[in-house]
Amino acid sequence: MLFQIAWRNLWRNRLRSLLIASSVAVGMWAGAFIMAIYYGMGDGRLRIAIDHEVSHMQVHRPGFSDDQEARMNFDADRVEQALQNLPDVKAYALRSITGGMLATASGSQGVQINGIDPASEEATLGLNTFVREGEYLDTTMRNRILIGKRLAGKMKLEVGQKVVLTFLDTASNIISGAFRVCGLYTSYNAPLDERNVYVLKSNLDPLLGLHRQAHEAAVLLQHDESLDTDFAQLQHQLPGLKVEKWQDISPETSLVLSSLDTYSIIFTVIILIALAFGIINTMLMAVLERTREIGVLMAVGMNKWRVFGMIMFETVFLTFIGAPAGLLAAWACVLWLGHTGLDLSKVAGDVMQDFGYASVIYPVMPLNSVLETIWLIIFAALVSAIFPALKALKLKPVEAIRA
Amino acid sequence: METRTVIDAHNLSKVYNPDSIPVNAVNEVHLHLERGEFTSLVGPSGSGKTTLLNLIGGLDQPTTGKVLINGTDITAMAPNALIDFRLHNIGFVFQAFNLIPVLTASENIEFIMLLQKIPKAERTRRVRELLEAVGLPDKGDARPAQLSGGQQQRVAVARALASKPQFILADEPTANLDSHSAATLLDIMEKLNREEHMTFLFSTHDQRVIDRARRVITLVDGRISSDTAPAGLSHA
Repeated sequence: MLFQIAWRNLWRNRLRSLLIASSVAVGMWAGAFIMAIYYGMGDGRLRIAIDHEVSHMQVHRPGFSDDQEARMNFDADRVEQALQNLPDVKAYALRSITGGMLATASGSQGVQINGIDPASEEATLGLNTFVREGEYLDTTMRNRILIGKRLAGKMKLEVGQKVVLTFLDTASNIISGAFRVCGLYTSYNAPLDERNVYVLKSNLDPLLGLHRQAHEAAVLLQHDESLDTDFAQLQHQLPGLKVEKWQDISPETSLVLSSLDTYSIIFTVIILIALAFGIINTMLMAVLERTREIGVLMAVGMNKWRVFGMIMFETVFLTFIGAPAGLLAAWACVLWLGHTGLDLSKVAGDVMQDFGYASVIYPVMPLNSVLETIWLIIFAALVSAIFPALKALKLKPVEAIRA
Repeated sequence: METRTVIDAHNLSKVYNPDSIPVNAVNEVHLHLERGEFTSLVGPSGSGKTTLLNLIGGLDQPTTGKVLINGTDITAMAPNALIDFRLHNIGFVFQAFNLIPVLTASENIEFIMLLQKIPKAERTRRVRELLEAVGLPDKGDARPAQLSGGQQQRVAVARALASKPQFILADEPTANLDSHSAATLLDIMEKLNREEHMTFLFSTHDQRVIDRARRVITLVDGRISSDTAPAGLSHA
């Protein structure tokens, strides 16, 4: 009957209870939905980093990442053979990479020159899908260059114009080569677009003095879960070379993802604190309004624990009417926007891409974050209930009855 | 009628504001009630009637003295033990009825038995009996707001009886009732006293109650100024 009394008490002031339950629902919806957007952004960033930037793993000669010197190369055949033996490889690409200067009639700019095989990069980076103007690299066309649209804008370059690339070869000789712009690309990461230019590996390697060598191997796996086992196997097969996971190659992405859980808890806690104050206020009013009644209950033999329990039940009921409604609403929004996507380009322009995020976010609601939120709601409801319940406990029957 | 001491108050005093302006609400009262009494506590406003009832009912602690209920000193009890003692031994009827508004008449009565952990079947049977005893057999499903003042007070009496208490303390039970409702309520209480030997102690201003009481204790300034007892009953 304690449940019954608590439940019926809740509806004595229907409007007030509905208002506070609604505010719990709105708070929960906002919290869960914003968290879903956060997770969607994190998930999007992870997919961009793996599928379009660094792949799951990369292989370099130790020390190459520090200076990107042309002489720090490895035997491409040996690495390719090792990659073909990996059980879960989806695609891989071998690259020749060097730092250099890109010069036009209007000026020059430091860039990273990537010598690539177009077909391999289609499979690993999806580079062909980023081309916005002109054409993707074609193996039948000599000395073509694909540059970022941002860089092109900065250097006042258009498709068809010539640029000169200057860099050091493996013997540290200064080499220059003229390349014609075949296409302009825009990836998900604007800062990288300003830095990376792509040419055919078959054109770059002779200039660098390479023959069946490469500076970088990028490996895309079929499943994220295979990373650890494939990484271990690759490390074992390529002694003397440095094999790195995406977390090591792109630590900022790893940091963002690892911070998400912390952000989500902080954000949810802030919302729950606001809700808790609303609940405490409502329940305190309810207790003060019913001082005499609680006094009578204590007078006729309801002990303090039962009074405490009654107030706790009321608070928990109040929370649990609103919270599931809010979570359901958030889930519905996530389901809908998970399908259509939330396009932020209309309000934020290219800002998202400046930070390496996709403009279209697909919110996700991981089960563990839902469970975490539910536990936090239960905790907040119980904590919110304690103060009003203690207030009720402090009532003395003889004084309460006179109230 | 079998006589047995139910309430024994020794040298009972209650002083409010002892550190500032002391008010002696109850002053060295000795009171002795035996089973089956139908007693009124009368006196002008501020004479200490309600305070004395609260002390006897264990709702308030005396400044000095003690209250023995069936030989048990309730003034020495821990708060939770006292609540439990009240649940099993004392019935309360309040001036403002004080039923739980969200419970029906039946549930208000049953609630006390639920606290006593009485089995469901027995609770249901006793609720029916009590509603009949107070003349409201068809009002079990009504909420307090759907009942008249007189009906609510009768449900309050049924609630007080539900725990099978040693005695019932009623604070101005007829104060908010019209003549007819007051008469009906008094008939019911008198009948319960007569047939089931239920002990009643009322505080009242109401002459209709005083006229029905078999013993009238008058309080003035917290002291007993007169105690008229019927023949055959002894008291302090």
